[in-house]
Amino acid sequence: MLLQAIDIAKHFGREEILRSASLELPQGEMLSILGRSGSGKTTLLKILAGLESADSGRVFLEGRDISGQPPHRRNIVYLYQEPLLFPHLNAFENVAFGLRLRRLPEGEIFQKVNRLLESLGLPEHAAKMPHQLSGGQRQRVAFGRALAVQPKVLLLDEPFGALDTETRASMQQLLKQIAGSFHITGLFVTHDLKEAILMGSRIGLMQEGRLKVYEDKQAFIADAATGVRQEIDFWSGL
Amino acid sequence: MAKRLLKYAFIALLLVPFGFLLMLSLGRGWAYPEVFPRQWTLENWHFVWGAQAGLGRSTLLSLAISLGIAAPVTLAGFWVSKHIAYSRRRRFWLVLAYLPYVLAPAVLAACLQAFFFRAELSGKVWGVVLAQLFITFPYGVIFFSGFWNEQMRAMEQLAATLGGRPRQAYARVLIPVGRGALMTCFFQIFLISWFEYGLTMLIGVGKVQTLTLKVFQYVGEANIFFAALTGCLLVLPPLVLLWLNKRYVFARAGAR
Repeated sequence: MLLQAIDIAKHFGREEILRSASLELPQGEMLSILGRSGSGKTTLLKILAGLESADSGRVFLEGRDISGQPPHRRNIVYLYQEPLLFPHLNAFENVAFGLRLRRLPEGEIFQKVNRLLESLGLPEHAAKMPHQLSGGQRQRVAFGRALAVQPKVLLLDEPFGALDTETRASMQQLLKQIAGSFHITGLFVTHDLKEAILMGSRIGLMQEGRLKVYEDKQAFIADAATGVRQEIDFWSGL
Repeated sequence: MAKRLLKYAFIALLLVPFGFLLMLSLGRGWAYPEVFPRQWTLENWHFVWGAQAGLGRSTLLSLAISLGIAAPVTLAGFWVSKHIAYSRRRRFWLVLAYLPYVLAPAVLAACLQAFFFRAELSGKVWGVVLAQLFITFPYGVIFFSGFWNEQMRAMEQLAATLGGRPRQAYARVLIPVGRGALMTCFFQIFLISWFEYGLTMLIGVGKVQTLTLKVFQYVGEANIFFAALTGCLLVLPPLVLLWLNKRYVFARAGAR
């Protein structure tokens, strides 16, 4: 198992955010986590990335306990809803950011970044500053920046939430495509039912700090709590 | 056309006091009702570096104090304000930072004077530096408190998950992103220290002769030509900083 979270609990003041949340993520799988705002999805991702500490529970990566490790040593990249491109760097340098931190040779950086920009359909935008890019292009650069460091796990926190419907659909396709070609292991958090089904090879449901991960998509659809049945009934009744 | 005229009129209006100071610093024997001084000479300026007036020494001392305060206070304010902005007791620490501004600097100096006297810091350059920190450091903290927000925090966290140590996050993200704010803060703290009179006078007990103190001294002596010359020296470094700010900060911001 690549990533394992066991009985993660978290309180903020008196509010209980996570209650014994557990999950297992094998290599190469994309797990969607569906949940409403405030259900604890983001907190769980931040704990996995090392950006928040859990009150209790453990996180294992490739069998090693990483619960006490700082985020920069985990090789787990957390992507926000906003692309958060560094405003002082152009698209090329944004993608190269993590590689420069690792002090890779210039030639290697040049090669890797250009290959990534190519696969993300951005080679002609390499020299552009973030404010010169569209929302979708920015999000692609953000993916490139994350993929460049070859993270063990990619955590995506509603990455398409700020995009319009059309761009969102094309970005979902692009992510599915690059997730396949780069063999990405990831957690995709969303509050959109359709997106959760589309993006994940398995799906989890987060409700009031409790996470339930389903065996497969059929089990997810069959559970009344997920709302899929209601959705199907609604569209069938039209 | 009218817009351009207005623009030049406004610039001229701003420059008149400086031109007047320059004229006074180059003049001698200016008696009412003459429009201009009777004699034009560079003698006052030659006098600047003379040991007798000590203006050269005062200029260097003022520069050393102001630069010595502005640089570390800007960096410390940046760092401390970040921890305050993200702390649970943010309001408390910010109220504390505003406290020195409840009192006028001279009143603050009067309150501190006894402690400085006991610590044998009265009349010493280090004493004046320390006293000025009482007002400049909180200013630095207050200045940067608006800079830190959820987006900056997210960028720092992102840099961390991409493999950046905290030091790298500062060097490669936070400082470059905050460059404009850092330059502006440096400039403003330099100005606060540069024109500071009350604290410097009371804690320095007149022995630490900064350029601002010299201006007041010459004004008190009714030596208008020397006061004007000292005034010229006094506005020169801020003008250079203003130009640097315009050249490197605002130009960069405008290009975005």
